[in-house]
Amino acid sequence: MDNFFNKIVELFTTPEYIDSLLHGFLLTMQIAFFAIIIGLILGTIIALIDTAPKSKWMILPKFICKIYTTIIRGTPMALQLFIMFFVIFAIRGFPQIIIAILAFGFNSAAYVAEVIRSGIQSVDSGQTEAGLALGLSRSTIFRKIVAPQAIKNIIPALGNEIITVIKETAIVSMVGLYDLNMAAKDIGSGQNMASYIVPMFTAALFYLAVVYLITFIIKRVEKQLRKSDRRG
Amino acid sequence: MNEKIIRIKDLKKEYGKNKVLRGIDFDLHTNENVVILGPSGSGKSTFLRCINRMEEPTSGEIYFNDILITDKNIQKMRQKIGMVFQHFNLINNLTVMQNLTLAPVKLKLMKEEEAEKRARGLLRHIDLLEKADSFPASLSGGQKQRIAIIRAMMMNPKVLLFDEPTSALDPESIGDVLSLIHEVANAGMTVMIVTHEIGFAKEIASRVIFIDEGKIIEEGTPKEFFEHPKTPRVKEFLKKVL
Repeated sequence: MDNFFNKIVELFTTPEYIDSLLHGFLLTMQIAFFAIIIGLILGTIIALIDTAPKSKWMILPKFICKIYTTIIRGTPMALQLFIMFFVIFAIRGFPQIIIAILAFGFNSAAYVAEVIRSGIQSVDSGQTEAGLALGLSRSTIFRKIVAPQAIKNIIPALGNEIITVIKETAIVSMVGLYDLNMAAKDIGSGQNMASYIVPMFTAALFYLAVVYLITFIIKRVEKQLRKSDRRG
Repeated sequence: MNEKIIRIKDLKKEYGKNKVLRGIDFDLHTNENVVILGPSGSGKSTFLRCINRMEEPTSGEIYFNDILITDKNIQKMRQKIGMVFQHFNLINNLTVMQNLTLAPVKLKLMKEEEAEKRARGLLRHIDLLEKADSFPASLSGGQKQRIAIIRAMMMNPKVLLFDEPTSALDPESIGDVLSLIHEVANAGMTVMIVTHEIGFAKEIASRVIFIDEGKIIEEGTPKEFFEHPKTPRVKEFLKKVL
């Protein structure tokens, strides 16, 4: 037990270790943040194409979106990361962090698209009919009626997706990026520390703190959006 | 006879092989109160919903004020053809007041203050003014449907379509909704109602049409229709429901 506490003291008093953890944490957050942004934008576009009324102009875009989400959701994230690193971006000197951001962003987009699509489709069709019967345009109906109701269904699931991306970025250590997960392993396997338990638990706490914070924010937003459901 | 406000020619609606409407010809005159009766699955709701294109007809022509309704002008037409739904369809994310004013203001038919004033007047009339800032989730079915009716009235429509307006209500609130529909009709509104309330149909109808298997098989004044039905199918129907 003494040894355990000594290791904790050692970890938090060695500037080198703290530096490694913070650098790793920063890289994890950078990849996750930009990947989530790409995922949200691309995923929203895919969802809008997917839920748009059927017409001859939409056949091809809808088909492409279907194939995209099927492939992304049907193959392992780790394999997608490898393909991005060793096949598509096998270019010497191309910034690795950008490849990682794109890999996670493209992956997340497929899941975000599903979340948004099912959120939109879960809005009762009577709501759209009410707008149509009053002579409102499709775009007004979407902005004023469907989207505000869909968001209530979408936000909780989107929170889950954000959390998933943050945790999943840990696999970038497989292609040699120095993220939080990698930093913990690196410190633990070093000559001086020579123990995994403290650095890895510390990394776990970092992840947990971020996930907890996001869960908290999502809950607040949900509560705000629920206002119109209240009875009385 | 008053002018024909809606003319329908050979209206057909098919879902794949299922022929729901098999060619309906129908004229609606101004100030008429037409009640549509028929067994369930006969196509009467589909018929009503084709008029304002809630359902896309497979073929046939519908004229409103002698103008053919097309994909291009349907949005304008719907502003003049109000609809009240079985499940009320109040907009859940908007307050009662916003439900009433959204369309007239968005479509620039009224200024916001003007629309709110009108809405308050109508709400006071149905004794629900205190619900103006409530969301639909806090209202009873009868309250929702009466608000849905005045929401349609906010647009100053020329025709009001009622699609089984009391079928989703508890027995106690049916009366309130029916008397409001009655009042609207008596005030000179041209209405078409699909309903299962036979008593109400007798009271309100200036003409009854009976649809079976996607066709109008009999029509007439309530007196003719209920007291001297011509076809065996209607005789059989009336025997069951009266």
